[in-house]
Amino acid sequence: MIKTWQRIKNDPKLLKTYFIRERVIQTIRDFFKKGGFHEVFTPIMVPVPSIEPNLEVFETQLRTSQGLKKRAFLISSPEYAHKRLLAAGVGSLFEITRSFRNEEEVSRLHSPEFTILEWYRVNADYKDTMKDFEQLFLEIIGHTEMLYQGQEYDLSLPWPRITVAEAFQRYSSIDTEILLDEKKLIEVGKERGYKVESSTTWEQMFYQIFLNEIETKIRDSHKPTFIYDYPLAQASLSRPKKEDLGFAERFEVFLAGVELGNCFSELTDAEAQHKRFEADKTLRQAQGKLDFPIDEDFVEALRSGMPMSSGIAVGVDRLVMLAADVPSVSDTIFFPDNELFSL
Amino acid sequence: MITVNAGNITKGMYLIFKDKPHLVTKTEFMSPGKGSAVMRVKYRSIENGAALEFTYKTNEQVEVADVEKREMEFLYRSGDDLFFMNSKTFDQVEVPMSLIEAQIGYLIPNLKCWVLWYKDKAIGVGLPPNVVLKVVESPNEVAGNRINAPKKTVKLETGIEAMVPIFIKTGEKVLIDTTSGEYLGRVK
Repeated sequence: MIKTWQRIKNDPKLLKTYFIRERVIQTIRDFFKKGGFHEVFTPIMVPVPSIEPNLEVFETQLRTSQGLKKRAFLISSPEYAHKRLLAAGVGSLFEITRSFRNEEEVSRLHSPEFTILEWYRVNADYKDTMKDFEQLFLEIIGHTEMLYQGQEYDLSLPWPRITVAEAFQRYSSIDTEILLDEKKLIEVGKERGYKVESSTTWEQMFYQIFLNEIETKIRDSHKPTFIYDYPLAQASLSRPKKEDLGFAERFEVFLAGVELGNCFSELTDAEAQHKRFEADKTLRQAQGKLDFPIDEDFVEALRSGMPMSSGIAVGVDRLVMLAADVPSVSDTIFFPDNELFSL
Repeated sequence: MITVNAGNITKGMYLIFKDKPHLVTKTEFMSPGKGSAVMRVKYRSIENGAALEFTYKTNEQVEVADVEKREMEFLYRSGDDLFFMNSKTFDQVEVPMSLIEAQIGYLIPNLKCWVLWYKDKAIGVGLPPNVVLKVVESPNEVAGNRINAPKKTVKLETGIEAMVPIFIKTGEKVLIDTTSGEYLGRVK
């Protein structure tokens, strides 16, 4: 198999595509520095990683010359470190770093090692982050029309925003009452021909309907779209909405069928966070994922007081892929994992 | 009934979707937000050529269409159909172009390949791992650029293009990988 470095050597014109990453990262840095954010540098190897129920982490071992052995993990996201820094009083911050996810399919949009951008704006909520995101993206692309893989996309501001409940109503004719009710939602899904087993959960049916009936229509609109206010069951580290307790202040942003970012008005309630961690730990155990303790130091940071903040995680490789108009994230990486490991 | 785990679906498989046989034309693994992983599959109906897509949970079981392979010889293309012949019985069969896709670029007359059948209907073609094709158009070698072992793009007899070393000339034959389209060697 011909390697990327060989291909570049044979055809130096290819370098142009690979250099787009450099420009995108510079644009991101300039954007946040101009906006008064601090760039921070946090560890990639940690004693306790994020306790996401659906993500598997890489584990390694730290050994000292004295023979001391410690479990060590590669981060799947730098979020726990960032929130400690918010609690410490660093203020609005951002970081571009590497993250790792194991046991995922290596595909057009997924690579086990990837570059992640996270930013946190203090005294702000998810709607402020929507504005940050659309402006940043526009600076990266440079104009309001984007051509990607032969399709044109309209990036003019403001980008469309739609709540999860509105999206289910508009594109899928499912009322909020049914959406939030596990039994009823699974019943509707069954009628529509989705496979239902005794183990089928609300979350699985939610995504089956979302990805088959809603996300495809958003993609065909040829505009980027913010989907916001997720049902509480998918709140993760976001805080519940004050006005509507069934939903949480979280959004995801989609463009060209690609999920570009996931944002929360961050949960700052230490006890509520601890409860969610316990539930996530149980879910990890049930799915046979690596078991590790809850990050008590992170909960302690929340307990000490973290400012109201809104934070987002963005896949930088996907931004570069769109900016370079190439079909796959691996087309923007000099040493893609699928090539390195012959996957 | 043979099934495949949706997480293992790959391009080129024939699966049953909504009770009908379909060819998988594209797959995309996705792990949505905080949800569990899914596999998005693009299908082409082998009955009417319609394009469809569906997103499965990766652990879902999907029925595999019972497709049979028979060795045949490619004859020619006529309009939107490709004609193949069984070299023992001389029986001929046609396969619509719409079900063949990129494989068309490797089909040269008399090539031994496999015609795929579903319930007595020819629905596609399976290629040998590599084929020999003649170079019909080749740009002149660029002088003074030998250090980088450069390659150039040439046109092959079936109309497709390939990257080959610059020493290959028009009229020569090259061995091409039918999966990746890559140059494997010069054939004397």
